[in-house]
This record gives sequence, C-alpha cells and structure tokens, in this order.
Amino acid sequence: MVVETARNKAAEKIVEKILVSGRKIALPDESLEIVKLFGIDVPDCALVKTAREAVEVSKEIGFPLVLKIASPDALHKSDMGGVAMDLKNVQEVERSYNKVIDNLKRNVPNARIAGVLIQKQMPEAAHLIVGGLYDEQFGPTVMFGLGGVFVELFKDVSFRIAPVTETEALEMVKEIKAYPVLSGYRGAKMLDITQLTQTIVNISELISNINAIKEVELNPLFVYEKDVSAVDARIILK
Amino acid sequence: MAFEKFFNPESVALIGATEDPKKITSMIMKNLIEMGFEGRLVPVNPKYKEVFGFMCYSSLLDIKEQIDLTVIAIPSNLVPEVLRQQAICGIKNAIIVSGGFGELGDKGIALEEEIKSISKEEGISVMGPNCIGVLDNYSNFSSSFLPWTKVKRPAKGNLSILSQSGSFATCVLDMLSQEGMGVSKVVNYGNRADVGESEMIEYLMDDESTYVIGIYMESVDDGRRFIDASSSCSKSKPIVALKVGRRDSGIEAVRSHTGAIAGKYEIYKAAFKKSGIIEVNGFTEFLDACKVLLMQKPARGNKILIITNGGGVGVVVSDMCSVNGLDVVSTPSNVKEVLSKHFPEFFILNNPIDLTGSAGDEDYDTALKIALVENDYFDAAIIIPLMHPQTMTEGVVDIISQSAKESGKPVVICTISGIYTKKIKELFESKGLPVFPSPERSVKAMNILVERGKMDGC
Repeated sequence: MVVETARNKAAEKIVEKILVSGRKIALPDESLEIVKLFGIDVPDCALVKTAREAVEVSKEIGFPLVLKIASPDALHKSDMGGVAMDLKNVQEVERSYNKVIDNLKRNVPNARIAGVLIQKQMPEAAHLIVGGLYDEQFGPTVMFGLGGVFVELFKDVSFRIAPVTETEALEMVKEIKAYPVLSGYRGAKMLDITQLTQTIVNISELISNINAIKEVELNPLFVYEKDVSAVDARIILK
Repeated sequence: MAFEKFFNPESVALIGATEDPKKITSMIMKNLIEMGFEGRLVPVNPKYKEVFGFMCYSSLLDIKEQIDLTVIAIPSNLVPEVLRQQAICGIKNAIIVSGGFGELGDKGIALEEEIKSISKEEGISVMGPNCIGVLDNYSNFSSSFLPWTKVKRPAKGNLSILSQSGSFATCVLDMLSQEGMGVSKVVNYGNRADVGESEMIEYLMDDESTYVIGIYMESVDDGRRFIDASSSCSKSKPIVALKVGRRDSGIEAVRSHTGAIAGKYEIYKAAFKKSGIIEVNGFTEFLDACKVLLMQKPARGNKILIITNGGGVGVVVSDMCSVNGLDVVSTPSNVKEVLSKHFPEFFILNNPIDLTGSAGDEDYDTALKIALVENDYFDAAIIIPLMHPQTMTEGVVDIISQSAKESGKPVVICTISGIYTKKIKELFESKGLPVFPSPERSVKAMNILVERGKMDGC
C-alpha cells in the first residue's frame, strides 16, 4: 500500500510538471518514466540536449542505440524523420543527433524541441500494443492487441473495463486473432505470456490510479520468449 | 423497496385525464380500467368533474388522500408546475409520458433540466419524459397509451424488459405474446431524466417474478453504476442486451492508436463483458436469447449432441454449431455400441445421430435415453424432430421432454415447417422445451446457454 502510494505520487509529480509547462502530451522520456514506475520494463534511456551529451551518454548505455526526437510537436516521431536506429558508434550518434533535429525543423517549422531521447536498441521481437483509455461513460479501460504500424489497419485488439485481474488480462491476450502466433503456432517460440499479462495489469493500474491521464499506450511493446520491453510509450493528459 | 410504487401503486393521479379519444390520457385510463387495475385512479383536470365515472379533481392540491404516483401526459411546458405541486403534496413518484423535452433541442433541453432539478431538490423519482412508462403484469398496472386491442398483452411470466425506446418495448411486448412468452415487467424510460437502466436493474434484481432481464440500450445513464448493478444482478438473473447505435464511433481528441481504435461500441462490449451481460445482435436474437434463458438452464460445456430424423437438416445444424464455436463431437464408441444393438444398420450413429425417415417416436426415446440420459458425455442437445413421416406423432413431444428432464441437461428443439409443426411447437413449449424454427436460431439459442454457462457461478 505504502509502495503504491509512493508510486502514484511519483507519477503524479511528473504529470504535474507536464501540466505546469502547459502541455497535454508527455514527452517520450516522461511517458517512459511514468510507465516504468508502474513496473513496466523499458530499455535504458536518457534525454540529452546536445550532440556532445549524446556521445557521452551513448558510451554509458552501450551500442546499438536508437535516437528519438523529443518534442511536444512530434507525436508520431517516425513519420517526420525523428527516429534514427542501428547506431553502432559515437560517430553515428553524433551525426544522427543533428539529423533528427534537422528533420523535425524541416517538417515542423517552429517545433518546440526538448532534446533527443537516446535509448538502448532492443533486439527485434513481436510488436504488440497495450493501451489505457479514460472513457467518458465507463471510466478507465484497457486495450491489448497486435501492435506496430498496422494496429489501426487490422484492429486485432481486445478491450476491457479497468481495473482488470490477471485472469481478465489473460483472456484479453487469448482473445485476439493473432494469439496462436504468440503461443507457438507451427513451431514458433512461445512468447512470455505471463509478462505480457502482467503488463496489461500494470497499464490497467496506471490508468485507474492516475486521474489526469486520458490515454496511455505502449506501442510497440516488444515481447520475447522471456521478458517484454516497452520501447515506446505515449501519454496524453485529459 | 424503492421504485415499487412505479409498478404497484395503491393510488395513481392521472394528470390531464379526459375521455376525449384523441388524447393519449384517455387511452391510458381506459387501459387501466380494462386491465382491472385494483389501485385507486384519481383523474386530474380542471375541465371536468368526472372522467370515465371517476371523480375528477381540478388540481393535485385539491386531493386529500395520499397519492403514490402521478402519470403526467400534458403539454411539456405545464409539466414543471405539476411536479412542484406534487412536491407540495408529498407525492414521490412521477411518470412523465409527455414528449417535447430534450429530444426537441434547446427549448426542450431547458425544460428537461428544470424537471431534473425539481426532481433532485424535491426528492421525486421521475420516469421519462417522453416515455410509455411501465407495465406490471402482476399488479395489472400500466401507463401505456397503446390500446391492448392492438398490442396484445402477454401472459404473466418471468421476463422483464428495459428499453430506452418506446416503440421497441411495444414491439417486443406484442411479439412476446405471440410467442407465448410470459412477462413480469416492461419499463420504457424514454429521455431518462432521472430513473434509468441502472436503477431498474437494481430493482429487478430483487423482484421475485423476474428471472431474466432483456435490455434495449442506446446509451448508458451512469457507466460505473450500470456495471456494478449488472454485475451483481447477472450472478443470479441472466441479462440480455441489445446495444444499438454501434456506428457512433468517436471518442474525441484521439491522439493515440488506442484512442483511434476505441469506438464507443468497443467500450460498451467491454462493459457488458465485465457485467456478465449476454450481448445479442438484432431483434430476433434478442427474443430468442430471452426465451431460451427463461426455459432452459445454462450448459456446463459446449459438447453438443444432435439427434434428428432428417439427415440434411442435421448437417445444417451441425455446420451452424461449428460456426458458433459449439463442438459437435463424435458419439463415444461405447454409446455407439449400445445404440447399434437397438437400431437398424442404416441409422447413422455418429453425431448428428440420424434416425432417418423411417424413425418413429420410440426411436427418439431410445436414442435420447442411451446418449443423453444414461451417458454423461454430452453437455446439451439440439433435437430436430421433423414431423412429416407417418411414423412421427404428437407422442414424441412427451418422449423428448421426459428424457430432457431426466438428463438434467439443457435441450433445444428445432422444428422447421408449416401448420402441423406449429402445433407441435406449442406442445413442446407447454412442456418447457424451447422451439426455434430454423437451424440458425436453434444453434444461436444453444450458444446463449453455453455462454451463460461459462459465467461465474452459473
């Protein structure tokens, strides 16, 4: 209970900071920090503000790395060239730092830039999505489904009213059409359904406990045979 | 019990009472007289001294005795004044039949807000406005203005209907009586200024004569209260919901993928799931689901036995089962062995069991006893007795219903065809076995029992 209160307070503090700066949309580092507080594994990352800082931090985190633009005006980062992947050394980090900033400036003139998120690049994995949404009628809800860029195309998702139990979360996982792909279809490896289920429960707790949040989303959530990793998180406030 | 006075009032004041056949108030009163309502009817209208032989008062304020409920059917702009008067008289319940409120735009919305605030301040429970109100089949009370000569009143029974739409409630009522299904209560709350589905579910949960609840829903009054009420109610009484207006997508301010995918309907589905509500598609499924839940108990699993004397229809039913996720699993070999001792070689013993065109009543008896009564392998059965062969008689009804009872498992009957078959349907249903006139409907009905069986505590 004490732990939960401390966790909620820490998350609310970040939310407060976002609101004070006049924003409704959390920056990538803020979103990741909040979901991490709720027990979700995220890759090592840091927000940097100069190319030099990027180089320093990259040595600490280790390669390969991903750079992601951190701007309240870039919600869909990859659409505007705000993401650089597979960076294997400091030279590439330095070059890419300037490139993602230039790309954003070119695509969104006058965009506010908070910096660049530098993040450990995780090995490729199944892309899933776990989301939370505050509904006007029913309050907090959670969504699970096939993630990545096709999520809106296939809409292979399941919804529940939050908070959900582990049993309900497991039902959500089993409900999507692609479930066999996650559970070892035709000799494929069985993915970590337990961690996946736990992640849904965690997002359910987050959307149920932090009242200021309208939408939260892990997309993609990488799921491995063991463990999951939220490589991107998005939080939108009410 | 709260809301009891809406269904079983000892005294009702009819505001705007008249004998003028063009006015709906005359119909409301005529209905009540014809139904044999035993409470006191008190007409209120300054124009008359007497309405249908009942003494008429010019205002609520003139009535000396205690009134439980007002039924208000006068022009909308006069309604707030009536509510204020009934507050003075200490009348705690009102059904506002009148339209001309929120459904009309700005001016109406303001009037409806006024009603809401009077209701809140004075502690008056309001049903409506813009509604038909209630039918209680046991107390013989109704605020409906539709003549019972045109809408046939169903028999007393154990189904209760909640509906935002008055026309839907009326059509359902008429269909239920045609289907021979018994009804306890029907409620249409229209614009739902105060009382809505959540309150009514809470009420029906403790209503002794309600076993099954059917809801026609456009929107929800209070999402969380609805979930709480339905969750506890559905543990003991099945709730069937038809949600309409599904294409009304649009959670506003969508910036994430979650927001973009989450139409309101998806959230409703999630809410139904959380509440243990069985959702159906369309009018026919709604009636069929209510019917099968009233007449049969939930299935403990999805292994379905099919017995027929018409191979073709049996296969159609079997196919429909697969589509709906029901398992038409093969007859176990030990059961087949026993069956083969009693049946000629050309009967097909695999599931579906096909007794062929030469079968008679007693073959159904044998098949059911061996495969369903004496053996516990199957969870439920769909029986398709086609009545056309000379060897099939009305006697099969008793045979099947007896075995169904002995087996303790849910059984659904599928009969297809004309006038003679219709007579058989009525016989089956008088024995408590639900009959559906097509493979699709029988299978969907069975699926409802399987779905219900999966729910906690069922």
